[in-house]
Amino acid sequence: MLDIRRISSNRWWHNKKNWILFGIFLFLFFVRISKGTFYKDLYYFLSKPFWPGQFQKEVIVDSVDQESLIKLNLLKKDNKRLRELLSLKQSSENEAISAAVISRKTGSWWRQLILNKGSKDGVQIGSTVIGPGGLLGRIDNTSLLTSSVILLTSPTSKVGVWLDRVQINGLLVGLGDDNPRLIIYSKDSDVQVGDFVSSSPASTLLPPNVPIGVVISLDEPIQGQKTAQISLLAKPQAIDWVQILQVKS
Amino acid sequence: MKRYFLKKLSLISLIFIPIIFLWHPNWIGIIGTQPYWPLFWLLPWSMVFGSINGLILGLFLGLILDSLTLGGSFTQIPGLILCGVWFGRIKINGPNLLGHFRYGLICSFGSFLCGTLYFFQILVKTFPDGNFLLYLPSVKNILAEVFLTGFFAPLICSKLLKLFKFSKDKSSIINFPKY
Repeated sequence: MLDIRRISSNRWWHNKKNWILFGIFLFLFFVRISKGTFYKDLYYFLSKPFWPGQFQKEVIVDSVDQESLIKLNLLKKDNKRLRELLSLKQSSENEAISAAVISRKTGSWWRQLILNKGSKDGVQIGSTVIGPGGLLGRIDNTSLLTSSVILLTSPTSKVGVWLDRVQINGLLVGLGDDNPRLIIYSKDSDVQVGDFVSSSPASTLLPPNVPIGVVISLDEPIQGQKTAQISLLAKPQAIDWVQILQVKS
Repeated sequence: MKRYFLKKLSLISLIFIPIIFLWHPNWIGIIGTQPYWPLFWLLPWSMVFGSINGLILGLFLGLILDSLTLGGSFTQIPGLILCGVWFGRIKINGPNLLGHFRYGLICSFGSFLCGTLYFFQILVKTFPDGNFLLYLPSVKNILAEVFLTGFFAPLICSKLLKLFKFSKDKSSIINFPKY
């Protein structure tokens, strides 16, 4: 009888492949026990170059901007149509004239800007002047090459304005200092600090809904009138370029 | 040509008043207010050329500055005319001369007068609306202007006075000997 003996090299623990499989098993077991921590951390480093970065953020912001722009244009068209129905004033941005400030008097009693565009460039008396922030004033007179803007802070300036939150009209009066006063001819109006002031949607002098300022303090009522101090959004002392909006009926 | 230029130097320098008034250099202002520039020129002019000339040039200056500033309702003419006449009555070599600082004091008073007259016009115009009390805090404009005008006047007025006296001497055709 032949004594068949197993060759020791054939035993399973002599097989390298088995050990490798065992190693993989142990590793997977560890992964299972650690709930994939190692995998996740490894993935963290591997995927880092492909994370949604600045570019993707810009893409999303652009999309949001485009969406807002489309909505804004639709609203503008709607607004224009409704204003035409009501025969109210409107401004055309296509006719906006850009002008540089060549003289600036923003202190004392005389508060005015002189712009480098005049009647030669089509600037008309009464046109609205806006700058970064909102309304600055109105064109008071023009020469051939220049035009003068009467600022909202000038003692000669009186403009009808609109408080959107309380849905009420008021009169914005310049006093010769940096903060014009808002006069509201209703003692019971609930005007509060922080209320936003814009040009009146029913104004016959100014384009509608141009931002003007914010209520910064309320005074004691005088003679049945409420007055409030307004901080203007557009700062004439710092603005070098403005837009002149031609008002057309 | 040079002689003519020297003779008219005092009048030619008038051109710079509206330019500085429009230039409005913010770096020398307080709370956005500037010195009242026309007085710096009007004081030496009136002192050299007298009250009548002061009145006339005060009127001219007022007309020029009113045309440069907005609001046809208010004018700077009354203040400048009064200052022109008053400054003309101050003798150059009078006994009250206490040096350059006197110019500062005179210009401060002049600026106060002009500012107050302008302010009263605003109050009178807004009185019917009942809003005139709102304008009272703007008095700080007058005070700032008075301070700045008084501060710069000694320097500017004394230089201009020298210039105008020189110009006047050049313009007199016959120089009578003084005995």
